[in-house]
Amino acid sequence: MDHTITIQCTAVEMSFKKKKALHNVTFAAKSGSIVGLLGPNGAGKSTLMRILIGILEPTAGTVEVLGRKPGVETLGQLSFLPDRGHLPNWLTADQWLGYAAGIYPDWDIALEREWVRKQEVDRSTSIGTMSRGQEARLQLLTCLSRRTKLVILDEPFTGVDLLSRERISSAIAEETADGDRTFLIATHDIREMESMFDRIILIGDGTIKGVYDTEKLRDDGRSVESCYREVFA
Amino acid sequence: MIHCFQYLVYGLYPYTSDKEGPVNDSMPPDMIWRIDDFQIDPSRPLYEQFVEQIRAMIAKGQLAPGTRLPSVRETAASLRVNPTTIMKTYQELERLSLLVTYRGQGTFVTNEEAAISRSRRDLARTAVARLEELAQSIGMTLEQFIALAKEEE
Repeated sequence: MDHTITIQCTAVEMSFKKKKALHNVTFAAKSGSIVGLLGPNGAGKSTLMRILIGILEPTAGTVEVLGRKPGVETLGQLSFLPDRGHLPNWLTADQWLGYAAGIYPDWDIALEREWVRKQEVDRSTSIGTMSRGQEARLQLLTCLSRRTKLVILDEPFTGVDLLSRERISSAIAEETADGDRTFLIATHDIREMESMFDRIILIGDGTIKGVYDTEKLRDDGRSVESCYREVFA
Repeated sequence: MIHCFQYLVYGLYPYTSDKEGPVNDSMPPDMIWRIDDFQIDPSRPLYEQFVEQIRAMIAKGQLAPGTRLPSVRETAASLRVNPTTIMKTYQELERLSLLVTYRGQGTFVTNEEAAISRSRRDLARTAVARLEELAQSIGMTLEQFIALAKEEE
């Protein structure tokens, strides 16, 4: 196993009945890096993420996550924030965190306390009455309070207000500083995230349109946003 | 005698003067970076821009000698930038002798007069080179260009 690579996809194909969702998807994500998965709606980002977390089996190709084929073991070693996912709205933040601490064996109570403070989540608030931004912050801190090597976030910013978005990206930057966490983030919010990515994977119509190291792009005088436009416009 | 001198140098660091023994990493930095401290062009290498701008702050005295800077982790979080970029920025500024890192104590702006004046000179040279380029683009020397600017109507 290559310890410097956290995700490796090679020639991944995915079909649902007659519809091809992914075609010849190949890319790698280095350990300790922040990788952006960018592309228009319906490009196959969520499908790809579901394959990576192991709840969907690709039709063809090979996938390695944390050194093995995605499955129950790898699922236990990564945190995943699903697109439009919701936390149980009948619980308070405190009840939810207590519950999460019970189901995740790698839950770190010290990390939880730190992130609750930094994300300014009020433990007594009922999830059902939270704004989208508050719930998104609680979802993110649920991912970060586990000692996982890989964090996969599917659209963590949709419907989230500016200040909550800033708090979330600030937490992501901080969490990669020690170099042992890898982030794969699907987002449309390129401006908020472009100075955070080490690498971007552009995906459209189920195929990879390009994989770029961002600092290399900027060496050539291109921004992440201009690259996205060139590829998709 | 040498000890006295060391104390003087240490005296420049706020937070350390009233404490005994070395400071550690949990000490608060003397300042925090704010996103508005920098103007970043997303189509140029980020660390280069941070290096340039921090260098200018040191040259202008906006960042006083001996200031304790936030850690890479704190900086990445407050600027919302990839930590590797900040690490490279600090490393480059150390290479230019503008920052000094003491193990277990943190990263500080240098107290070394020579390094600071060198950065002031570099800043001046870059600005003058840019001006010269502009002058040449309209077929003038730098001196003619400056004379033109000072000419009265």
